[in-house]
This record gives sequence, C-alpha cells and structure tokens, in this order.
Amino acid sequence: MKTISLIAADSIRGLLHQRLLLGLMLACLGLTVFFSIALAKTRKNITSSFSDGKGGANMSTVTNRMSETEQRQFRESMENASSMMQAFFYQVASFGGSLVALFIFGTAVSSEIRRGTIRLTLSKPVSRTQFLLGKYLGGVAVMAGYAVIATLAILVFAQSEKVDLSPAMNWAPWLMFCRQLMLGSVAMLLSLFFHPIIAAVLAFAAGNGLCSTSNPLYYILPSYQDFNVFFQVFQGTLMHLHDVVMLSLYALDFVVIMLMLALWRFHRKELVSP
Amino acid sequence: MAAIRIERLSKTYRAGWNGKETTALRNLNLEVQEGEIFGFLGPNGAGKTTTIHLLLNLIRPTVGAAYLFDCPATETEVHRRLGYLPETVNLHDYYRGRKMLEFYAALARVPPAARSSRVTELLKLLQLEDAANKVVARYSKGMAQRIGFAQAMLQDPDLLILDEPTSSLDPVGRKEFRDILLELKQRGKTVFISSHILSEVESVCDRVAILQNGELKRVGTLEELSAGRMVRLIVKSLPAPVVEALSATTAQVTLMQGQITIRCPDEATCGEIERLLEQHHVEIAHKETEAQSLEEIFFSSINQPPRL
Repeated sequence: MKTISLIAADSIRGLLHQRLLLGLMLACLGLTVFFSIALAKTRKNITSSFSDGKGGANMSTVTNRMSETEQRQFRESMENASSMMQAFFYQVASFGGSLVALFIFGTAVSSEIRRGTIRLTLSKPVSRTQFLLGKYLGGVAVMAGYAVIATLAILVFAQSEKVDLSPAMNWAPWLMFCRQLMLGSVAMLLSLFFHPIIAAVLAFAAGNGLCSTSNPLYYILPSYQDFNVFFQVFQGTLMHLHDVVMLSLYALDFVVIMLMLALWRFHRKELVSP
Repeated sequence: MAAIRIERLSKTYRAGWNGKETTALRNLNLEVQEGEIFGFLGPNGAGKTTTIHLLLNLIRPTVGAAYLFDCPATETEVHRRLGYLPETVNLHDYYRGRKMLEFYAALARVPPAARSSRVTELLKLLQLEDAANKVVARYSKGMAQRIGFAQAMLQDPDLLILDEPTSSLDPVGRKEFRDILLELKQRGKTVFISSHILSEVESVCDRVAILQNGELKRVGTLEELSAGRMVRLIVKSLPAPVVEALSATTAQVTLMQGQITIRCPDEATCGEIERLLEQHHVEIAHKETEAQSLEEIFFSSINQPPRL
C-alpha cells in the first residue's frame, strides 16, 4: 500500500506540473463561472422586466405591487432561471471534468511508457499492479480535487446570488465524480491498447448513448448517462438516497472490472518499444 | 550463486499491422557470477538492450527465462537487490534532483532514517551537490546520466545493470565512473555493463560477452578470448596468385620496411593460409601469435575489420 501511495503522490505531483492539464481545468471552471454569470444576468433581467412600471427595483416592493397571477409567473420565472443556472453550472463542470478525466487517466500510464520514465520506476521493487493502481489513485485524487473546487464554486455562487440550490444538487457533484472515475477507468484500459487520443475518444463515445437497450452492447458498455443529473437539477427533482447508492455501487463495480482488465493487459504489455 | 542466469532466452518482436516478425535475441545462454564486472558488447541492434529489458521484466521473452540471484526475473522482490541505469535517462522532469532521489529511495525501500544521508552521500560522490536543488528538466545530458547512476545505487544494490553508462560523460566523468566501478568490485558487487566504449570495458571488466544479431558470439575473460587467436605470418615474398587468393579471406596483408606480414584473425584462417602458402611454395620466415586487444577480439568476433 505504501508503494501505491508513493506512486499516487508522484502522479499527483506530475499532474499538477502539467500546464496543459491545469489550463484545461481552469478553462472548465472559468467556463462554468462564465455560464453562471450569464444566467445570473438573465435572472436579473427577469426581475427588471417584472419591475417595469411597478415603481421600484427592490424585489419585495415589486412583488407587493404584482397581481397574484403575476406573482406566480414571476416566481416560476425566477425558479426556472435559478434551476437553469445550476443545471448549466453542473453540465459545464461535468463536461469539463470528463475532459480532464480523459486527459489524466488516458495519459497516466501511456505517457510513462512513451517517455521511458516507467523503466526507472519498475527497476525498483514496484510491481506492475502497484504502478497501475498508484497511477489510478493519483488520478482519483486530482478528480476529487476538481469535484471539491466545482462544488465550492457553485456554493459560493449560489450564496452570492441568493439562489436556493436544487435538491438534486446535493448529490450532483458526487455523481459527477463517479461518472468521471468510470470514464477514467475506461480511458486507462483503452490507453493500454491504443494511442491516448484514440483511447479518450473511444472511452467518451463508449457510454454516451451510442447503443439502445435493444443492442447487447448496451449491457456491456458503461452507462454514463445515468449519472447525468442535468434534468433533475433543472426540474428541481429530489434524488432518492437509494438511487444514489445503487449508482455508486454500479460505478464501483464498473471501475473494479475496468481496472482488473487494465491490470490483465498491463501485465502482458511490452513496456518498451523494440 | 549466479547473479544473472539466462537460459535459452529468445525474443521476437511483432511490429506493424501485418505482424512482421523481428528476432532481437536468439537462444541466449549466459551466467554472470556474483562479484564479477561483466561487459556486454555488440554492435547496434545486437540485442544488448533487449537482454537488459528482459532481465528487468520490462518485456516478455518469446522463449526461455532469466534469473537474478536464482529468482525468476519476473519477481518484483528481487529488484530490491538491483540497480539499473538506462541508456537514455528519462527523468520525471518536475522534480528537483534531491527530491527525485528521495522519491526513488522511498520506492527502493531505503529506510526513512537513512534516506536523506544516502542521497547526500550519492550527490557528493557524483559531484551533483550544486545541482541538488535544481529542477532535473534543466540538467545537461551528463548531469542526467550522473543522477541516473545515483538512483541506481540508492539501495546499495548487489547487482548493477548499466546500459551505456558513460555515453554522455566527459573524460573526467568517465574516469570517476571507472573508479566507482572498481570500488564496487572491491566491495563484492556485481556489475553488468553494456557499452560501446571498448577501452572502458577492457579496463574494468573481468569477463565479456559479445553479441551479434541476437546471437552470443563469444564469452570469457579477456585472456581466454585473446589466447592463441591472432596469428602473424611473416613471409619474404608473395606471388600475385597468393595475394589474389588472400584477398578473398579475412586475413590482412601489410608491407612494411620490406617485410610482408599476414595477420590471421584466428587459427582456422591461419591453417588455411598456411596450406595456401605451401601450395605456392612460399616460405614462412616467422610465425607468432599475438594477444589481441578487446577491440580486435570484438571485430574478429563480429567478422568485421576495425573501422579506421
């Protein structure tokens, strides 16, 4: 376990020194904030459109002077805008996180092989299993960091905009994290067969609704869609703990199977080119 | 106990979509005893690095097996007794020198209490004290090779596998490296060196193996390999048909100060040439065997004349 944690720590260190990755993460979080600001403006426009002719910009003053129907329409519009803001925030953070996960896990082992740094590491008493698990755990830690930053961002933003969080937002970051780990495990497995870019494209495409339930592949390929709670966030649906636990177990199972396949492949892989 | 034992090791690579096969190593059998400094020689593409990669379990053999201290090379635990320096030292470029060595020391299971002092000791030994806090991405090739050598020695291994260890070092660095090897030898360590620099191998190695096209051509001590090998025949005259016949052999004919010398790379060739001379009634004035340098042994083993 100590060796695995050493490899994981080294992996985190390496990832945090990758300018491309940091740029990608910042761009994702930046886009998330940009969308949210845009939607917050929309929300303010709704307020001002309702306030027109009502004699003030203060929200309570505005609502006091509205008819009952207008008040209901106003509340619905405000809730819709808030939900949309959160849903977009979630969607952009989730998509960006997926790109980051594909980058991290797709290159974790393959870049070590390509650059030849794996030779020094494996010349020490480090097994291939320890190496691969360490690399995966390093990626998990970075993705956890990403999920925490994204969660903090939505909390700070919701607080500053005085928006009530959608009930589905309680679980959205966790499910986003699970989805990214699944995606990462597929990318890592495929990167042991193909070039990392091809592996990333295949990993992304594998579970994004390319197969219908009538296709047997549907039951083999990952179901990333089940982890996407965009509509639940948008509609303000409450997510049941049971569903979240079942999805988490599915993700765990899936990741374990992918890692076992990756280990099987990694143990047979030639780690240097002729 | 043999530090390295290689049994019937073969490696065939398949490349490309059509799976074209390339044999890098054929039926290699080799033993390196504990405490030996062993030179592993061969031209480019001979299979030296492939053998090292097989010993390190970085690639899988097609046939055969390799053992380190009587343990299969596939066992990870045996790497506790092993240090490895690759030909091209690719480092994790986000580390500073000292931190990188500390990371590898932790992987090599150097006890935490001894880690810092061991790293300091090696930085001093390899003249890297001033570069210890420099990012390794900024290291020169020579510095990278030095720090690579330091990481190989972190756990004071019983066996060092060095692939072209001095290719990026200047003459001073090479001299220091030779001194370190001799000191390791005194301490009973086993060193397996793959190198192109024959003079270097000659000066430190107890035994050498010569590999060509994946096949082991010769193995032994320098004395064993050179004994009775190069034969020199001195003749007074050489008729034209004999000169013509000699040009088809691997013998070299030189004329210096009126003396004709025929240098035969081995005794078999010498026998053939003696019969040829006898047929043409050429009298041999003098015959002597000469000890060969490693360079001569090397080139005669791979059937190529030394490059001028």
